[in-house]
Amino acid sequence: MNPEPEQPNHDEARRTFLKQSSLLTAFAFTPGPVLQAAAAEIDEKVASAFEKVPVRLDINGQKHKLSIEPRTTLLDLLREQLGLTGTKKGCDYGQCGACTVHIDGKRVNSCLTFAVMQEGKEITTIEGLANGDKLHPMQEAFIKHDGFQCGYCTPGQIMSAVACIREGHADSDDEIREYMSGNICRCGAYANIVSAIQEVKNGGQKV
Amino acid sequence: MNQFQYVRPTKQKAAIDALAKDANAQIIAGGTNLIDLMKRGVMAPQKLVDINKLPLNKIERDGSNTRIGALALNGVVAEDKLVLEKHPLLAQALNAGASAQLRNMATVGGNMLQRTRCHYFYDTALPCNKREPGSGCGALEGFNRMHAIFGFSDKCIAVHPSDMSVALVALDATVLVSGPKGDRRIPFIDFHRLPGDTPQKDTNLEPGELITAVDIPDAPFTKNVHYLKVRERASYAFALVSVAAALNIENNTIKDARLAMGGVAHKPWRLTEAEKSLVGKPATEETFRQAAEVAMRGAKAFKYNQYKLKLAPNSIVQALKTAAAVA
Amino acid sequence: MKEQSPKQSGAIGEPMNRVDGRLKVTGAAKYSAEYELPGLVHGVLVGSTITKGTIKSIDTRQAERAPGVLAVITYLNSPKVPGFAERDHPAEPPTAGQPLRVFHDNKVLFNDQPIAIVVADTLERARYAASLVKTQYDQDKHQTNLEANLDKGFLPVQAKKNPKSPLADYQRGEVDAYKNGATKLEAEYVIPTEMHNPMELQAIIAHWEAPDKLTVYDKTQAVMGTQRAFAKDWGIPEANVKVIATFVGGAFGNGLHNWPHETAAIIAAKKTGRPVKVVLTREQMFTMVGYRPYTWQKIGMSATPDGKLTAITHESVGQTSSYEQFTESTLQQTRMMYTSPNVTTRYRIASLDVSTPIWMRGPGEATGAFALESAIDEMAYAVNMDPLEFRVRNHTDTDPDNGKPWSTKYLKECFQMGAERIGWKNRKQQPGAVRAGDWLVGYGMGVGTFGAHRGAATVRARLQKNGQLVLQSATTDIGPGTGTAMVQIAATTLGMPPEKITFQLGNSTFPQAPSQGGSSTVNTVGAAVQDACIALRKKLQQLASATPNGAAFNAAKPEDIVISEGHLSLASDKLAKAAYADLLKQNNEAEVEVVTESKPGNDRDKYSMYSYSVHFVQVHVHPLTGEVRVKKIISCADAGTIINQKTAGNQMMGGAVGGIGMALTEGAVIDDRFGRYVTKDLADYHVPVHADAPNMEFAFVNKPDPHVNALGTKGIGEIAIIGMAPAIANAVFNATGKRIRELPITPDKLI
Repeated sequence: MNPEPEQPNHDEARRTFLKQSSLLTAFAFTPGPVLQAAAAEIDEKVASAFEKVPVRLDINGQKHKLSIEPRTTLLDLLREQLGLTGTKKGCDYGQCGACTVHIDGKRVNSCLTFAVMQEGKEITTIEGLANGDKLHPMQEAFIKHDGFQCGYCTPGQIMSAVACIREGHADSDDEIREYMSGNICRCGAYANIVSAIQEVKNGGQKV
Repeated sequence: MNQFQYVRPTKQKAAIDALAKDANAQIIAGGTNLIDLMKRGVMAPQKLVDINKLPLNKIERDGSNTRIGALALNGVVAEDKLVLEKHPLLAQALNAGASAQLRNMATVGGNMLQRTRCHYFYDTALPCNKREPGSGCGALEGFNRMHAIFGFSDKCIAVHPSDMSVALVALDATVLVSGPKGDRRIPFIDFHRLPGDTPQKDTNLEPGELITAVDIPDAPFTKNVHYLKVRERASYAFALVSVAAALNIENNTIKDARLAMGGVAHKPWRLTEAEKSLVGKPATEETFRQAAEVAMRGAKAFKYNQYKLKLAPNSIVQALKTAAAVA
Repeated sequence: MKEQSPKQSGAIGEPMNRVDGRLKVTGAAKYSAEYELPGLVHGVLVGSTITKGTIKSIDTRQAERAPGVLAVITYLNSPKVPGFAERDHPAEPPTAGQPLRVFHDNKVLFNDQPIAIVVADTLERARYAASLVKTQYDQDKHQTNLEANLDKGFLPVQAKKNPKSPLADYQRGEVDAYKNGATKLEAEYVIPTEMHNPMELQAIIAHWEAPDKLTVYDKTQAVMGTQRAFAKDWGIPEANVKVIATFVGGAFGNGLHNWPHETAAIIAAKKTGRPVKVVLTREQMFTMVGYRPYTWQKIGMSATPDGKLTAITHESVGQTSSYEQFTESTLQQTRMMYTSPNVTTRYRIASLDVSTPIWMRGPGEATGAFALESAIDEMAYAVNMDPLEFRVRNHTDTDPDNGKPWSTKYLKECFQMGAERIGWKNRKQQPGAVRAGDWLVGYGMGVGTFGAHRGAATVRARLQKNGQLVLQSATTDIGPGTGTAMVQIAATTLGMPPEKITFQLGNSTFPQAPSQGGSSTVNTVGAAVQDACIALRKKLQQLASATPNGAAFNAAKPEDIVISEGHLSLASDKLAKAAYADLLKQNNEAEVEVVTESKPGNDRDKYSMYSYSVHFVQVHVHPLTGEVRVKKIISCADAGTIINQKTAGNQMMGGAVGGIGMALTEGAVIDDRFGRYVTKDLADYHVPVHADAPNMEFAFVNKPDPHVNALGTKGIGEIAIIGMAPAIANAVFNATGKRIRELPITPDKLI
């Protein structure tokens, strides 16, 4: 585990300094009426050079050392920067579950966390669920029970379904329905998804 | 979303310092509400203080209290043995909220600090006194289906969206906070505010204060409890009305009761008078109806939430019936 | 549990697993926003915050200076789109009028209309810079409330031009005869604006590969329609526009039109010289890509005391935008479903200051069926008759709309199958008579119908030396399992194992196919696949003539030819057998290819062609809280031949869930003071979740319709939802005695 900085991040310190000094310069040389616009400009341009912070993440067993903006969500990092587009964006507000991934084994909405907050964590996405060419039993069960149509919510449903069993929330159809309600399937393949989860649960395979 | 400074202190004091130093700083823990609001431009902190490294996630006994750390995850609390045994109402309320994924992210402290789901608060193109004091209340004459029937002002008719808080206010919880001026304890019932003329303030937290834990006192509400949440679909939706009901019944007589409602006010709405009306009476539907009537005194509705004047008392009756029926 | 054999023959009807299942469960299926192109940049749209008026000033300076920003495009600096007509209303399909001309002028026609696009090197930077664009407006008074504007309803332009248009006023028998009926009812029905809300956000990557050569990775149900539209917009040959939509993350109709964000991305790519990706936000999905229009309906109905319908009048007013006339077939079911001697229909639309609607699953038919099938239930109660018996009594054996015979109609079989499975006999006519604990129990039914449409399509079939068959068609798959059905049709027609067949779609360079919509893909493209495979079979037979056993094949009668397991053989001669791959090798052919065009015949002139569904539901209603839980659904369908029982069942299931949403949870609300949606994300607009979906059962009559195509298919997607909402509303009435005529049936309406 890496030591956590008590101090603000090193980039941030520099950024703050530069921001302030540039602003001071701007104040000194700019006539009053345009000050605000100029300040805004300098603020942004100076910031741009120093706005990234280092982050280390373990994604699907692979270690990543990254430099990212703190405002980058885990979801956008996966999709837009790492090419891991299996994790889907369906709402971006934690209201659909398409972006579900596992962080240290727990299912979460990757759209509602900044990647920088997951420093040092182990992240599993749909791309990391199968064992090489061998599909995870839940993936097999989704195919067999036709637990999808368009396929867009499917990675999130599968990640959530695996967690649902691991958590011990798959003891009945109704319990599965309740604990899978954070994953919306607009195509409406719900009953097939429940069947898939039941089969994996009852199959006794390790999930 | 604007850029912001990001700091991750490991000591409580450093967190409070970072918070106190900068009026534009916000704490981030689970992030499930704050990030949502930042994406929509409703909140735009210049600095985020990530407190996830603070050791505030324990659930433990403290004398005759159960102490739940502010960073305990909703999903963890809902399944904690101690909580299930001593405060099953809290577990029910937590499980009625959000989704399994969100409960794995959201913390107890963050849940209390959820902002309202009022449509006008959430859309920066519409007026809202809570988001932008002085801009007007969009909901007052607008689409106020989800809005308050108690304790509102002409500045704000929003409701607090938390389920957990409805259980905590019913269970006489206390919020432990730590700030630049030291530590203090806030009774849960005083933690959230009514809007009055300053709806921008949701709670009585002072600037720079950090929630560290919640204490729940032991009480004999371990069996006949029920959290009823009425919503527009079967799960994963905010409450139209919710009811936290806890009864201590001996020989079919109600010895003591706790009752609170969600979805009806700017804060979780404790129904003390209705509780009193239940004590000493038989646990019958007639008793529950009378209590519901007491509970509804002073309620007033707007154009689109008239139904709450009926749904709220009905829900109280149903919640009490279900609680009483627990064998 | 018995495991299915992983090896499947893929014969028509078999519940074969989806051919693209593995790609979907591993996250490898690529949707529009997921292509990596060198130099790709991100575009974020800025929407208007007023509803009607003009832009007075738009200040982009701050946004332009923000880090990473490449361009901020507004009407002031947008590259001109040559095809944007200067006239406001050239009448063009699919909707009459002019699709929104994005960044064309300073006019604002609806709230959240795109008025600028900000392009930056990262998504975060583009999003932030978009928040810095500052706009001032001159506001005009707007109208966004349909019910306040019913009197402004007008006849759509098609109907004005052509009195025979299905949208024109219709009458059979006496006008408004219900008014003189023995037992009569008159009621108004309202459905709110409903949003398609597919899980995939609408997305496009636009890339100008050369100044006159455009490639788009676009979420659309019509790659060729999109190709035509963009070629016309930019004044370039259609061949220069390539549209890719390999996977579509749900659409339900909102990919049947081209929308402003698509053109905005193309404009931005033009301006910056970079490939530009635009992904809508969930809020923008409410304002920029269509919706099921808010619709007011009125039904007048009369019947004899013994339950024979004597007259129906059905009127409807649906909303459209100020710049396009959107229309749908809301009243068709009323014209043809029941034997009523007198039928009057009047269809109107009203222009509001909103964006243009677009067909949403089951489109107008689902809207109309809510009113009609609710009214039928009401009338059954009015004459004190079981609603199932009432429908049987008014069943019609020919199309009363035009007098033609039905191509096939097995509606009565559906009635019987469904009634048995749901336990209709447990239903009590008296509302509120059945209880389960605290909950009231109700049973209801509804009927749906949709035209069995077939268009023209071309399919390329290419058999390769390695024995693999590749089929290509410019159709799309928004979720029903198009590729899977096509592989099964080919496997059956050519006698090949399905794993040797690939069906490629979602690419405008493939042979012509219509959009995926109106439940017509299998009817149309399936028939074309079958025809292509038959043509290929003939070619293989010719190749066989040139082999050592050629003489036998040459002389063989068609019925003597056997195709099986990728071999051609003769029933009469055991020695005459050749693998397809060997036929190619022996003839020195690298591949055999056929390209076959396939069109409907003239049976449509002789028959009325429809699919049918009957939905039976059981609901529980809580008398105190007004919550409704659908506990059981049985849907039975007469959809002709079923190509794949598994994916067809899934289609029915999806329609049922969509129907639950329509009936109980969905409705988008505009605050008319601002003209702005206030419920515009998935927390405020409630689509059904897992907990809303009960156990369901589906049954198909599965008898071929010989007149639609040689496969005998009729179409499933629409009838899966049409009639479901009234079935639920009728069940709620049976449980509570409360007739809810305004959807959705939320708890407040039942307490």
